[in-house]
Amino acid sequence: MTTSIRNITKHREQRYSYGLTLLREEMEKKYPMPKEEDVGKKVVLKGEGINLAFGGLQALMDINFELKEGELLAIIGPNGAGKTCLLNVVSGFYHAQEGEIYYRDRKITHMSSHGIAELGLCRTFQNIALYTGLTVIENLMAARHPHIKYNFLSGMLYFPWASDEEVRQRAICEDIVDFLEMEAVRNQVVGSMAYGLRKRTELGRALALEPRILLLDEPMAGMNRDEKEDMARFILDIYEFLKIPVVLIEHDMGVVMDVADRIMVFDFGRQIAEGTPDEIIVNPKVISAYLGAEYAGV
Amino acid sequence: MEELLKLIVLGLCMGGIYALVAVGYVVVYKSTRVFNFAQAAMITVGAYALYQALIIWSLPIWAAVLFTLAVGVALGLLVERLLMRPLIGQPILAPIVVTLGLMLMVRGVVLMIFGGQVYGYGEHFLPLGAWHVGFLTLPMIQIYAFIISMVAIFALIQFYNRTRMGLGMRVTHEDHVVAQNLGINVKRVFQYSWVIACVLGVISGMLLGNIQGCCVELDVTGIMAIAAILFGGLESIGGAIVGGLTLGVLQMVTIGYLAPIMPGEPIMMVPFAFMLLILIFKPYGLFGLVRIERL
Amino acid sequence: MAIHRPCGTFDRTYYEAKAIFRTRLQWGMITALILALYGIAFVMNDYLLGLSIVIFSFIVAMLGLQIITGYAGQISIGHAAFMGVGMYVLACVEAHLGWSWWVGMPLAGIGAGLVSMFFGSPSARLKELYLAFASLAAHFIIVYVISNWETMTGGVDGIWLSRPEPLLGIDFMVEHNYYLLVLTLCIAMIYLAKNLARTKLGRAFVAVRDNDIAAEVMGINIFNTKLLAFGIGGFFAGIGGAMYAGYNEYVNVEFFPLNDSIWFLGFLVVGGFGSIFGAICAAVLWKLLDEMATLMTPVFTEILPGLAFYVTASFSLIMYTLVIVIFLVLEPRGINHRWNIIKASYRLHPFAY
Repeated sequence: MTTSIRNITKHREQRYSYGLTLLREEMEKKYPMPKEEDVGKKVVLKGEGINLAFGGLQALMDINFELKEGELLAIIGPNGAGKTCLLNVVSGFYHAQEGEIYYRDRKITHMSSHGIAELGLCRTFQNIALYTGLTVIENLMAARHPHIKYNFLSGMLYFPWASDEEVRQRAICEDIVDFLEMEAVRNQVVGSMAYGLRKRTELGRALALEPRILLLDEPMAGMNRDEKEDMARFILDIYEFLKIPVVLIEHDMGVVMDVADRIMVFDFGRQIAEGTPDEIIVNPKVISAYLGAEYAGV
Repeated sequence: MEELLKLIVLGLCMGGIYALVAVGYVVVYKSTRVFNFAQAAMITVGAYALYQALIIWSLPIWAAVLFTLAVGVALGLLVERLLMRPLIGQPILAPIVVTLGLMLMVRGVVLMIFGGQVYGYGEHFLPLGAWHVGFLTLPMIQIYAFIISMVAIFALIQFYNRTRMGLGMRVTHEDHVVAQNLGINVKRVFQYSWVIACVLGVISGMLLGNIQGCCVELDVTGIMAIAAILFGGLESIGGAIVGGLTLGVLQMVTIGYLAPIMPGEPIMMVPFAFMLLILIFKPYGLFGLVRIERL
Repeated sequence: MAIHRPCGTFDRTYYEAKAIFRTRLQWGMITALILALYGIAFVMNDYLLGLSIVIFSFIVAMLGLQIITGYAGQISIGHAAFMGVGMYVLACVEAHLGWSWWVGMPLAGIGAGLVSMFFGSPSARLKELYLAFASLAAHFIIVYVISNWETMTGGVDGIWLSRPEPLLGIDFMVEHNYYLLVLTLCIAMIYLAKNLARTKLGRAFVAVRDNDIAAEVMGINIFNTKLLAFGIGGFFAGIGGAMYAGYNEYVNVEFFPLNDSIWFLGFLVVGGFGSIFGAICAAVLWKLLDEMATLMTPVFTEILPGLAFYVTASFSLIMYTLVIVIFLVLEPRGINHRWNIIKASYRLHPFAY
């Protein structure tokens, strides 16, 4: 694109805005889209032998998982099974006692959380962790932090390139706001918004960070069916348009069955099953974990 | 060796008063989770109130002490009702700023009423003179101060562990709302905590006023006692006692050996350097509760 | 609070959306204000000029604390000490190295910034209350070091400075010239601070304040951000100290007692966290109250004879606390919030919201 930055909004209006075009252009500038033959085969995220314990409580026991390019992996399991712990270990927030995590064949186990986020592993939080004093659009701009390319000195002096950069980032964030259909509330302070809108902002914030792998922790918790369908549509749009693999922790079996390519089941910190939705739904171990052992034999 | 022992004993006596002040901080923090910087001001209030009653009005000792204690109770109730009640639910900075301001305001009031000179009690309150135990010369004031501090702390611990109100205070520390739902009168708990803390502060003021004389700078001792609580952990009364005694001993020993070398007044520096060291190495103290952050 | 534009002005581009002064009227008003501040220099007497210079110095220092505490959320009860470090760096550079004020002023800022970063490094592990203790200890330690490092700082005697050397033929011994210099510097620092607040680092500060664990996981290096907050805040404090020291032509440890650190924080709460306008209001209010305390002395001498000497010192202590407590009880979010509500109600009149 050889258009000047000042025309950025003009060009947006002239194009038919199909969701996250600006975000995708940003991501394509940094690295190419995944090739067709890699989808479903190349491993992008791998965890080996992860063991996590808090004092005497063993949260994760010997977890091995793989996430392939362009697939949507769902992690399910009863409460307390360690699903969020696994996501925290991947994000670098918890440090596993044993085990390694590889992101595209690069070891990231002991990397700092912000380094991992810069690499492209972006996540949402189960109990929403937004910046409560900022508005929606400011939350997204704050998430753009690792990708904004001026240092603080030129920011303070606010030379024209800092100003232009600000406008460019604003355009990208507005793109995300349009995609999530939150235009009406974009200038509202997040602390005073309703729960469903905050969950959507959470998703938008993970998007603004230019994810190459999206980790979603119960994005549909506490929503009714309409809102769940909306959220599922957003996740599928992201998955298809940005072509990034998604890890989804979710309790609603209906959503998981419809949306997931592969499912991993956790119980008490162990993996008890893994496979496609059809395989999982008849797996006796899964049934006994959810419904009790007496139904497993049926 | 004798010198060291003398310093340690003197340090323990001073530490008793630090412990008393420190326990006052802990009591308020344990129930209300507000850090009461104004505890230092209570020392000044206690010292000057006793001065007023004992010297200016020439009351007998028991009446003067009762007057001072009553002033402490009244102040505790007033501060809690007027200043702390409206601030419930505000971010942590608001009570910090208000209590800091209160500390300075008390300084101002005292300055206005009494002027800036240093006043002494003379013989009226605690007996002067010293005991000679072996090679140690123990000033009587310090020993009495130590004994009184320990008695006060002991009374407080009994209150905490044996009475219903003490149990209520321990519960309220965790969560005000939950405690209220469980039927504990949280307002009453707050009042009790503040009154107890102010009374403890006032008692230590009476003792310190005797030792150091009544001056406006008495509250610096209160600020130094913060190092004691940090050492012991912000929520632990036992820790405050241990911290106070340790701080006193550390101060005396350091002054005895370092003062000739270091310029100025290292007596002021020791607690703050100690505070910084604790914060760097073990911020939660020996017995404090470590909070784990969850995402 | 959403930014309300005046009725009828809409933002068509993102440049307009992020502008502070959007309409011509707003540009006109700010230009008129700045011209008035410059012009008034030639009609004020020395007393008012001196008061204004002090106010501008403290505005810059208060901006520093706003960056540390208001934006980045790191409680700092040692800010007056950082201002003092700035003052003393300038004084030592002038006295021992013979450099001029022009060189010494940025050095004062940098020196104060470095010291501030050093004492802010515990923020990596400590949260709000514990950080308050560390900064309190920092204040005492800085005062102790400055009072006792006789060879460098002259101990409790203080150091004598001189005004900035004449630049472009302007002699700064004349009060109104120094006022103009200080005013220019103050406006420049406000510009820098406002830009900091609305760019990448300012948002990182607010992110760290609101939810620092989430900020870490979202790609912001919180330790670096906190250190930068302390560093930049200290820089502002140092510059403010240099301006103040240049005015007094003398520095002494008595200029930054513990009380001042507490009032910095207290008045910042009154002004409002997280806004440049709040910091400016806070500094102005503080120094005006200070002057009021001095002006009331003759009144007190009449009412309470014999006590007047102590009344002035204690009056300011009592009055400031009352002001802070009243604001915290009635308007905990500060003058800035109240002003925003007034502006919004004016713009939205006759609607309520």
